[in-house]
Amino acid sequence: MGKLLICDNVTKRFGGLVAVNRVSVEVSRGELLGLIGPNGSGKTTLVNLISGVLAPDEGRVLFEGRDITKLKPHERVALGISRIFQGMRVYPYLPVYYNVELSARSVFKDAKLARSKTIWALTTTKLLAETLELPANLTPYKIKMVELARALVTNPKLVLLDEPFAGLSPEEVSEVIEIVRKLNGNGLTFIIVEHKLRYLMKIVGRVVVLNEGRKIFDGAPSEAVNNEEVSRVYFGVV
Amino acid sequence: MSKLVFAKPSKIKKVRKLLPSLAVVAIYLALPIMGLSGFWIDVLTRVNIFLLITLSLDLYSGTTLYLNLGVPFTVGASAYAIALLNRYLGIPVEYAILPSAAISAVLSFAIFIPSLRVRGAYFSILSLLLPIILAGLVTSQPFSLYLGGEGGISYPPLFFSYARTLPARERLFFLSASYFYISAAVAIVAYVICYKVAYSDFGFMMRSIGQDELLAEASGIDTFRVKLVGFTASSFLSAVAGALYAAMRPPVTADVFIPANTLVPSLTAVILGGMGTVVGPAIANHLTLITYEVLWGVLGRWRIILYMCLLIVLVLLRPQGFVFYLYLRLKRAVSTKISRLFEGA
Amino acid sequence: MEEFKYILIFGLLHSLTYLVFSLGFSLIFGVARLPNLSYGALYVFAGYATYIFLTQLGLDFSLAVIASTLLTATTSFAVGEFTIKPAMKFPVSVFITTMAVAYIFEEFFRIQMGLRPVTLPLYSGTTTVMGVPVSNHWLLVGLVSLLMVLALLLFLFKTSIGRAVRAVAESWEESMRLGINPLKVLRVTFLLSGVYAALTGILLTPLKALTPGSGWTPLFTAFAVVVMGGIGNVLGTVIASLIYGFTEQLVTYMLGGGIARVVPLVLIVLVLVFRPHGLFGRGE
Ligand SMILES: Nc1ncnc2c1ncn2[C@@H]1O[C@H](COP(=O)(O)OP(=O)(O)O)[C@@H](O)[C@H]1O
Ligand SMILES: [Mg+2]
Repeated sequence: MGKLLICDNVTKRFGGLVAVNRVSVEVSRGELLGLIGPNGSGKTTLVNLISGVLAPDEGRVLFEGRDITKLKPHERVALGISRIFQGMRVYPYLPVYYNVELSARSVFKDAKLARSKTIWALTTTKLLAETLELPANLTPYKIKMVELARALVTNPKLVLLDEPFAGLSPEEVSEVIEIVRKLNGNGLTFIIVEHKLRYLMKIVGRVVVLNEGRKIFDGAPSEAVNNEEVSRVYFGVV
Repeated sequence: MSKLVFAKPSKIKKVRKLLPSLAVVAIYLALPIMGLSGFWIDVLTRVNIFLLITLSLDLYSGTTLYLNLGVPFTVGASAYAIALLNRYLGIPVEYAILPSAAISAVLSFAIFIPSLRVRGAYFSILSLLLPIILAGLVTSQPFSLYLGGEGGISYPPLFFSYARTLPARERLFFLSASYFYISAAVAIVAYVICYKVAYSDFGFMMRSIGQDELLAEASGIDTFRVKLVGFTASSFLSAVAGALYAAMRPPVTADVFIPANTLVPSLTAVILGGMGTVVGPAIANHLTLITYEVLWGVLGRWRIILYMCLLIVLVLLRPQGFVFYLYLRLKRAVSTKISRLFEGA
Repeated sequence: MEEFKYILIFGLLHSLTYLVFSLGFSLIFGVARLPNLSYGALYVFAGYATYIFLTQLGLDFSLAVIASTLLTATTSFAVGEFTIKPAMKFPVSVFITTMAVAYIFEEFFRIQMGLRPVTLPLYSGTTTVMGVPVSNHWLLVGLVSLLMVLALLLFLFKTSIGRAVRAVAESWEESMRLGINPLKVLRVTFLLSGVYAALTGILLTPLKALTPGSGWTPLFTAFAVVVMGGIGNVLGTVIASLIYGFTEQLVTYMLGGGIARVVPLVLIVLVLVFRPHGLFGRGE
């Protein structure tokens, strides 16, 4: 079977700045891939290119063998690519329930199916007690869970998490990791963006390292630590 | 999770809750037969028609927060469509109302498509620009020749051919009362539909666009389609308002394009009543417009300045109370939805 | 040939006035990322203020110009402070508040001055340029506009405050990192755009009669120009003004003034359809 996702030489420029420079990444089904790199190295931009929030200046994005470079974000969600944004991003004046259900409703035309999907996603992220709360009344961890629930509710094949651990306590981080692991065990593919290697080392099977828009490493986490260029970029950060 | 939260309100309870509002509506509808003066019946008719504009504004702008300042364009286009269909094709206004509204909605849709595609300020500015340009066009050469210029276009109003057969004494009352009941019926139907739509999943998708459009798009919502459908539906409401008003009150002049006439009262009502809540703006519509009418005698044109100042103050204060109300309403909507789900399971 | 020269000269003169007016508008639009819909009303405000100073207070012309420019700048500042700044967190609010301000002015002048058009002293006489007679006032307008454009460019590129304005227009966050206070910069743009609206109002009123509602057309022109040129792009604004000015003159000449009213609308729609981020804007 072919790869789930292929980024083929994608490039994105902002004026003179090349935020992502001819990056190629292949992701197999069921993988748990880490995407790391220093601040400003282009991780979020790459996520935006995969989720369709930005269009690449050059290169192609293939999903399940299909060229999706020209598709809009919502069309990619329907195909099975979900993402969460860096930071906390929810609809501030909608209760948790609607924050999650609207995505389900736009992917599944059957209202009843959408509702039961929503309940499933809220159960998986342990949010059932908070369905009626507004995001303003939630802890950062719970907000992350809302975002995760929204990403899961559309039946994704690939989930992109942009710095999901930022702002969470170590216990909360391990809770998130546990949920991710469980879903990954059921065959769901993840790309996790992190600034620091530390958290990812133990959970991902492979890391891709970006620096100044270029891919400088692609391989096992243990090798990444020993790689000269990666160490240079991460001097004192690892 | 508590059972209490998910408890479904019983049918009887629901009806009992609605009773006071139904009573108010019944009294309102009885006003003309209880001897309200012709002048005030006409005022209330106007206010009923304005409710359509207010609802239209609330349905789209109140939820997506894309401010549609082009409402006077849509209202004016259907008003002129009524007049032109009558003048050039000889179609009586009775039959021209729906076609005119449709023409105007399609026209608005066509002009606004490009600006719905892009995020940000473009839509509002384009919408502000349209009616003012049209007002200028209508009165300038060569368009004024066909569009009636300053004097506008006149034609026999709604039901006039029938009213003429009545004795002179009854004629005026017949026209006033029939206009009132038609406008009230349309307004009530529009209110119920808007309420349903605004609190449906589609309504919430429009709200999600207002709260974070990029997030909505990236999490699966086809924001362009939602905006397009929402905008067209909302335009149709404004267009019906324009057509009804024109059918009842010839002649049609460029005044319909002036925002102070056709936008400001509704905008004030929407802000005062709480954007996107439907209930609030509908109540505020009647309060602000009746006051607006009363103020005409006291303040004359200064009333516009007064309303503008009020608008600024309201927007800057944005009373939390309304948001809170919306939140309560949402809570109820969610709990019924979930309880229904558990029932089915 | 005659017509061609006529269109060339008047197209250029109109373009210059549009440029000046649009630059004032784009100062706030660039920095606040939100349009000030009362900008056209400030143009009208300056015209009426000068008129009142001249006819009712009997001030000397130059004194009246200075006084009304200062008054307009102050008003622009107040409008910005009280209706733009506090509303910026919620973009819809800015539309409502600045539109409301525009209508407050319009209604106020309608009540106080009536609908009868008002005019200001005209610099009389004509000069023949390339065989076309052009009124001296138009030439004055062209000259002053040119000077104002140059002054603004010098300000934006050569002074530290001007550089701060450009930095904030480029990126709010980046400029804060550089130690610039965007809110202070915003104040500067409120004042400056008031001055630009005022001077255009005073210069153009003798050529185009002033009524309470005459501020809308210039506002839309400015908006069309800024959208075409790309928000915050000075060179783009210059080129867009030229395109706009010549298109308008050409349409007026060929199809008449009535149809020329639609020019801003058509241009904005075309830009939105084909180049949503302006002719020279880089895509988001
Ligand atoms: N919308 C944008 N416009 C201009 N520059 C951008 C934009 N988004 C990101 N950049 C720039 O691109 C570079 C990469 O950014 P990003 O992908 O967010 O990095 P990371 O997520 O790895 O920290 C940074 O230098 C950033 O300033
Ligand atoms: Mg990032």
